[in-house]
Amino acid sequence: MIKLRTAEGAVISVERDIIEQSGTIRNMLSDVGSTDKPIPVPNVSGPILSKIIEYCRHHRNDPGRRQPKETNVLEESDSSDAVIQRAIEQMDEFDHQFCRVDQGTLFDIILAANFLDIQPLLDLAGYTVANMVKGKSVEEIRSTFNIKNDFTPEEEEEVIAIAVAGKQPTESLPKRLPVFEQDQAVRICGLPGVPDSRLPFVNDTHAVFANLQKIMEAQSEEPVGVDGLLQTSILYREAMIRQIRVLQEAGETTEFIDAEAATFHAMHAVWQLLEIIYLSSNLPGLSTSIVPHFMEWLNFNFPAPLAEDGERVLGSGGTLALSGELWAYVRKLALRGHVSVLANTLEKVAPVKGLSAMAARWARDVAGIARDMPLGSSEETAGSFNARWRRWNEELQNAAAAIASLLPAEDEALEALYAVVDIMRGNVDAVAEEGESWQDVLGAMLLYSEPTALADRLPSLVGAAAEQFQIAESSLDRALLALLNHELPEFLVLCNRIDPWLAAHMADLMDHISILDVCRAAFAVDPREHYLVALAELYVGHENLWRVALDYLGLCGTRAARCVMAEYAMRVPLESDVKAQQVLRVCETYGLKGAADRIHRQLGRRQWQRGRLGAAIAHFAVVADRRSIGLICDQLWDQFLASGALTYGSVIDGVLAAGLRHERLRFLTRYRDFYESYKAKMHADAGAILLSILVEEIAPPHAVADLLVDAIPLLEGDELVFSADQTFELMRCAEALRQSPFPTGGSVDEGEMSIFSVACGRNLARSFVF
Amino acid sequence: MNTLLVQPVARKVTSVCWLPPRAGQAYTDTELFFVTGSSARHKELVLWTTDNPDFESESKPPAGDKALAKLVSKVTHDGDVHDIAVVSTDVIATASSYGTISIYDIQNNNLKLRESVTAHRFTSGEPAVGTALSVQPVNSSDAEIASCGEDGKIAYVPLARLDALQAYEVDSTVVTGVCWPTPSQVAASTRAGQVKVFDRRSPAEVSAVFVDVSNSYSFECIASHPSQPFRLATGTDAGSVLLWDVRNPKKPVMETLGVHKSNVWKVRFHPTDSSRIVSCSDDASIAITQWVSDKPAATRDVRYLSGFFNALSIGCFDVCPFTRASLLVAGSDSGNILMERSASTEFSLF
Repeated sequence: MIKLRTAEGAVISVERDIIEQSGTIRNMLSDVGSTDKPIPVPNVSGPILSKIIEYCRHHRNDPGRRQPKETNVLEESDSSDAVIQRAIEQMDEFDHQFCRVDQGTLFDIILAANFLDIQPLLDLAGYTVANMVKGKSVEEIRSTFNIKNDFTPEEEEEVIAIAVAGKQPTESLPKRLPVFEQDQAVRICGLPGVPDSRLPFVNDTHAVFANLQKIMEAQSEEPVGVDGLLQTSILYREAMIRQIRVLQEAGETTEFIDAEAATFHAMHAVWQLLEIIYLSSNLPGLSTSIVPHFMEWLNFNFPAPLAEDGERVLGSGGTLALSGELWAYVRKLALRGHVSVLANTLEKVAPVKGLSAMAARWARDVAGIARDMPLGSSEETAGSFNARWRRWNEELQNAAAAIASLLPAEDEALEALYAVVDIMRGNVDAVAEEGESWQDVLGAMLLYSEPTALADRLPSLVGAAAEQFQIAESSLDRALLALLNHELPEFLVLCNRIDPWLAAHMADLMDHISILDVCRAAFAVDPREHYLVALAELYVGHENLWRVALDYLGLCGTRAARCVMAEYAMRVPLESDVKAQQVLRVCETYGLKGAADRIHRQLGRRQWQRGRLGAAIAHFAVVADRRSIGLICDQLWDQFLASGALTYGSVIDGVLAAGLRHERLRFLTRYRDFYESYKAKMHADAGAILLSILVEEIAPPHAVADLLVDAIPLLEGDELVFSADQTFELMRCAEALRQSPFPTGGSVDEGEMSIFSVACGRNLARSFVF
Repeated sequence: MNTLLVQPVARKVTSVCWLPPRAGQAYTDTELFFVTGSSARHKELVLWTTDNPDFESESKPPAGDKALAKLVSKVTHDGDVHDIAVVSTDVIATASSYGTISIYDIQNNNLKLRESVTAHRFTSGEPAVGTALSVQPVNSSDAEIASCGEDGKIAYVPLARLDALQAYEVDSTVVTGVCWPTPSQVAASTRAGQVKVFDRRSPAEVSAVFVDVSNSYSFECIASHPSQPFRLATGTDAGSVLLWDVRNPKKPVMETLGVHKSNVWKVRFHPTDSSRIVSCSDDASIAITQWVSDKPAATRDVRYLSGFFNALSIGCFDVCPFTRASLLVAGSDSGNILMERSASTEFSLF
């Protein structure tokens, strides 16, 4: 009798052969032998345990209980409903009665059966649950099992069943495979997928990211500096621009492509703004004014006026019509600082008929002034530039005064020219009136009022520029404003709203520029790590991107990311041997010993199931799982006994090449040596090997009897193989076997043993004679 | 370190091979064709064309914005494409992750499945992943394909009759690569780090086994010398390429070329200059090693090829044997086609 202590502490007694249907208990008992102490089963309550014992008692005499059940042979074409149906039909009356319990009990039984490793019961309960689920809608299932729906309706639409942690969802698992615990832990969760069109971008930026981490790590030897970071940043931006171009070239415009293009435009705008504030304008030894960079950013990301507008307004064949549109175009040119285009346009306008003489004159003059706009260069000192700028500004003031004196002349042209000059002399009101967005206004204010402004002037200017506009609602505008205002934590959060990619890479870059440190305190967790992990989680379920995801986690470099990585690495689906190698390689690169071990175990078990025993041993050998190797060796031995043909040679040869040492393997090799010598009629050699196997006690106890039987033909043969001493050795082994307190498991046939004894006696006699 | 040209294709390219020039046009082919096979989300065979570099004028700068290769046609493939072998100008054979060998015809620039057969299964009946295949080097229509798989078997299939498939279990681990040194001899590499040689006439028996006893490698691939059948090359999981001289099967001579940092997925003797050996690896590079040399193994000349925007494993490559200029195409897990095209400076015909 075996005693079990339940969760409540009660002790229940049960016959050993009944409870040995539980793999867990069976293993425990085989480890400790027999015990009087109660075995604790802490996760099983008394009532449930009684129920399980009831089940085991009913099924104690079922054949093949100990082997994994293979009765539910599935056909490829079977639908899951048919499978469930068949399983339900196979249940006997007891099983049906047994499962007629409330849901809570049923789930407790499943948990207990899982813990106790009683596969048939687990199947029974599992199929019962499956039967309850069958044919019901998601809503019904939820209400049947009290599962809370934590997806919003929008999310629900885009929920895809991805294999969390790389495992396949249970329904898509290959059929006929027993399901492992890990497989059952597969959850379904909602994640936006990575669209195919993004794959090149993801891969390119992953390469840049990896390279950036590499150069930053080698920083002590070769400083990266702002220069190096700027190079990297430009590479990121080039990838974005490439992506935008690819999207544009996609031809058909769908809602999806438009949305993608908008996202990438936004990402580029944010990225470049950060680049000009923290990198471009910080280059050592160069003009540090932010203005030219800012104008470049503005006109690249928010182009205005558009080239098409220009073509339309200026007409094709040089026929230029004076219209409100033209003057709006001209004003916009001034606002955006396109001074040379402005000058060209005005010169074209001047000779047009219908323009008053005054307006024509001033158009030419303003064109001239616009052309003269001083541009800073790195060779010039700030003082001399300021002097030039002042002179130019005076010219503008004069022109403005002169034009103003002509007004009001009811002349649209003169009014427009006045507005242009007004904008260019930095009149904030004029700028504000003309500007359509805060970017416009900020750009014009920078360009015409503070042409030498440094990056740290931006927060005060942006406040002035933005206040007259409604605080923009889009994430892009809010992110840009947050960045300009140095509100970095908010900026990162907004980046994440634009795209997880942006937040992750932004946080990484900010960390390398060392501006992330100042805002780390604002976050509960390290933002770089958080966003990188989030990005990796987005990628990890994608069949093509699992390695990119693991790389992000590994390169992140923090402990937490390492732990997450280990969890994911263990769960990448290993469809092929090559992929298994790749995952193991990743584990090795990042030092994930634990994950690699678990992958090897997983592979070993899978190969074992497939009957690839050699490969299984090789995997178990890596993790030194001696117990499994021993079991496989026993299986090989049993196969040999059953078939009578020694075919395991090739299996163990492959493994031995890897230098594995294991007593069972040694036994199998030695036995093969014996077998081959015997077949080659080298009886003396065969006898010596057999004896050494027995004497060195490398044979498992259950094989000893068979070995002794193998000795009979040698003992009885014409040739005298065993000397008297050796025969005594054999007899001693036989005696030891008879007296062994352990149940051997092998078949000790009394008849064969008596033949053995007789053979020994005869051989002994012969050995004395010779 | 030379730079490879990169063309993103948004699918894992796991195998690639050049098609021989069309018959009768061999010297005037301005366009060359190759086939790539992809895996994971997109399981496809794609036929590409690229300009023959022999016909490009020297002065013309290398194609900048222009795509490296133009897609001609594509067809979905049953399973991940793990290997492609060329049978003739218009016939190719593929090995898939579902353990099938498929024969495709190329007609009017379209790939068309002619026939396929499941060659690899575990004893449980579950299909086993096919890892590689190789076509018997005989010039006749009854050539055989040898394919190997994770079930430890080598399968032989006559091209003309796929149903006459014969499979022999030859290893207890995974057979990772297979090649035909001679029309009657097959060599295979195994996960357990063995090279096994078989005589095609008694395919169930191993006629020789070669092991590097000093190291416990896994072998990822195998290739034989185009003209010296006793010379074999294997790529290991530790990043080295092993060169075997098995003239004396009892005492094989082996040389280790430590050219990569990580698993070597594929190795080939250079088709036009077999004194060089080309290998591609998990470390995202391709190495071209001058192995016929007086220098000791560690200091051989190695030319590395890699692409900045390609950070992941390069799993396959093929060197075009039909051009005077060197033309190499490779595929990577980053979803890129990589190419090196340059007028060869080291090699001239006269």
